[in-house]
Amino acid sequence: MPELRRDPVVGRWVIIDSDHTKGPSDFSKDDNTPTRQAICPFCPGREHQTPDEVDAVRPLKSLPNTSGWLVRTVPNKFPVLIPEGIIEKEGIGIYDQMTGIGAHEVLIEGPDHDKGLSELTKEEMQAVISQYQSRFRYLSQDSRFKYVVIFKNFGSSAGATVEHTHSQIIALPMVPKTVLEELKGAEHYHQYRGRCVFCDMIAQEYQDKERIVVENSSFLAFCPYAPRYAFEICIIPKAHGADFASSDEKTQAHLAQILQDVLKKIKKVLKNPSYNYYLHTAPIGYANLACYHWHIEIIPKLTRSVGFEWGTGLHIVPTFPQDAARFLRDA
Amino acid sequence: MSLLRKDPIVGRWTIIATERARRPAAFVDPQSTVTERKDCSYCQDIDAPGVYESHGVKVINSSSPILDDSKPFERRGHGLYDVCHSYGSHEIVVETREHVANMADLSLDQIKTVMQTYALRMQTHSKNPFIEYVLAYKNYGVAAGSRNIGHARSQIMAVPVLPMRVKDKISGAQKYFDYHERCLFCDMVSQEIKNKERVVVENEHFVVIAPFASRFPFETWILPKGHHCDFVEGIVDSADSLAAIMKDILLRFKIGLNDPAYNYMIQSSPVKNPSSFKENYHWHIEVMPRLTRVAGFERGTGFYTCPIPPEMSASFLREVDIHART
Repeated sequence: MPELRRDPVVGRWVIIDSDHTKGPSDFSKDDNTPTRQAICPFCPGREHQTPDEVDAVRPLKSLPNTSGWLVRTVPNKFPVLIPEGIIEKEGIGIYDQMTGIGAHEVLIEGPDHDKGLSELTKEEMQAVISQYQSRFRYLSQDSRFKYVVIFKNFGSSAGATVEHTHSQIIALPMVPKTVLEELKGAEHYHQYRGRCVFCDMIAQEYQDKERIVVENSSFLAFCPYAPRYAFEICIIPKAHGADFASSDEKTQAHLAQILQDVLKKIKKVLKNPSYNYYLHTAPIGYANLACYHWHIEIIPKLTRSVGFEWGTGLHIVPTFPQDAARFLRDA
Repeated sequence: MSLLRKDPIVGRWTIIATERARRPAAFVDPQSTVTERKDCSYCQDIDAPGVYESHGVKVINSSSPILDDSKPFERRGHGLYDVCHSYGSHEIVVETREHVANMADLSLDQIKTVMQTYALRMQTHSKNPFIEYVLAYKNYGVAAGSRNIGHARSQIMAVPVLPMRVKDKISGAQKYFDYHERCLFCDMVSQEIKNKERVVVENEHFVVIAPFASRFPFETWILPKGHHCDFVEGIVDSADSLAAIMKDILLRFKIGLNDPAYNYMIQSSPVKNPSSFKENYHWHIEVMPRLTRVAGFERGTGFYTCPIPPEMSASFLREVDIHART
C-alpha cells in the first residue's frame, strides 16, 4: 500500500508510491562514461587555464599552479557569488535584497581525467576529505560568511558541466533555508526531549536494521525513512557532533572510506547514475550545538520533479527506502 | 555583481546571477516525445464516461493513482517516525476532445471551462473531512515531468496532510499580516503595478509578474488583483479574465521560448478552517517554463541560482508578439 511518511527533522511529508515501485533497472540512465576531452581545464599541465589556486594537496611540494597535485582548489571561473566587496543590504518596498558576496570554489578531486571519485585510492580520497576540511576552516574565518556548503554534481542530469571529477564549495552570507529548517526541527525536538533527533534516528535505524546500507566504526550510511528521492542515502557520524570541521583525522579517514563505499554501490546498482551530494553542518560559530548533527546527503538523479512536487513540496518517491537499502547492501 | 534576493512569502533567498545572464536561446530543452493522434489513449477513450464532464472537459481517475481513498485514513507512529497510508485522490483533467497538445492553443472558452472544472473538483474534495489540501497543476513536456505531449491535460491531487511548501507560504503570509495587518500579496500586487518593471501583462482582474526573487528564468506568477484566499471563490466573477491571462502567458512562452516544457500550480488556501486564511492568504498561480536543472547546491541549501534577472525575463516576455503566428 502506498504510504505517506514524515521526516522527523523538518516535518516534511513524502509519498512512497508503492503501487509502481521501481527497482534499480527501472530508471532511465545517463551515459556517464568519461570521454577524454582534449581541452579539459582541470587536467594537469593546464593549471594556467583555471583561476589561480587557493589551496592544494601537493605531496612532493611542487609549486602552486603547476602539476604534481593530488587535490586542487581554485575559484570558480563563473562564480555565483564573489568575495570582493562589502555586503550592502537594501529594502525595496516589501522586498529585501543584498549584494552577492560570498565565495564559490571548485575542488578538483584528482589529476586523472578518467578516474571518478569512487575509483580514487585510499590516500587520494583522504586528501579530498582533508581538503574539504581545510577549505571549510579557511572560509569560516571570514566574518561576512555564515555558512559554507560543500557539494558535488556528477553527471549531466545532476547539473555537472565539466566531466573531470570535482566538487564545489560555496560560502554564503546567510544560513540557507533547508539548513534552517533542519535546525529549527532539531531544536524543537531537543527542547521537548532533551536529546538530539539525529542520535535518536541512528538508534532507531539500528533497531529497524532494514534501511542500513553500510557502516564502519565511525559512520552509518542508511536510506532515510521519509526520503525525497529514490535511493537517497544519508551518511552520518555515529558519535554526536554538530560541526564537520571539528572531526579528527581518524574520523576523516573513516568518512573517506564510507563515502567511497557508498558511491561504489550506487555506481554498481544504478549503473553509474548522475548524482548530487552535499554536506550539512552547523552554521559558522555554532560548532557545539547539542541539537544538531552533521551529515552528508547523497541523491542519485533518477527522476524529475513534477508540478505536484514544485507546488506542494510533497515528494513522490517510487522506491521504498528499505528496498533501496537492500539493493545497495547486497551490492 | 550578482544579487541576493529574498522571497517575502517563504523567506527563501535566490541568487540572481547577473554576471552569468544568458539569452533565452541559450537554454535547451530536452526533447519531449510527441504522441500522435492515432496512438493517443485520451482520444481513443474520449467518449468513455468520466468522474465529471462539462463542455468538452472531462475529469477521469488516474490510471496509475499515487493516492487512493478506498481505505479509511489512519495515522500511525513508528518509533520517532510518522506514517499514514497514501490516502487521497488523483485525477486527470482531459482539457479538450481535440488532440491539441498545448493549453496555449485552446480557445478561451475551453480554458475557462478547465479552470471552472478545477474549482468544482476542489469544492468536491474539500468536503472530505480527511483532505487537507487540493492542488490543481499541469506538467507539460518531459522536463516538466510529463513523459509525452500530445493531448492537453492537467491533474488534481487531494492529499490528507498539509504539504511543506504550502505551510511555508501560509506561515510567511501570516507573519506579514500579523505585523502589518495587510495582505502580503495585495501589497505585492500594488508595488508591482506601480513599479512596472517586473509586470509581464495585466488585465481587469489579474497581473502576471516575474517574481522579485525568481528561482527560475522566466518564472511567472499570476496574481489576482482582488483579495480572495481561495481559488474557488476567487474565480466566481473572473473566470473569463483568468482564461484570457492564462492563454496570454502560455502563448508568450510558446512563441518567445520555442514551446518549452512548463508547469503551473494553483496555490489556493488549505481546505480546512477557511476562516483562518480569509484575511492573510491570497490565491495565485505559479507558471514556470522548465529551462534549467536543479543541482546539488539548490538541493542542499534550498537556495536557487537564477541566471536571468526577473526584470529581464519580464521585459523579454512583455515584448513577445503573441499575435504573430508563424
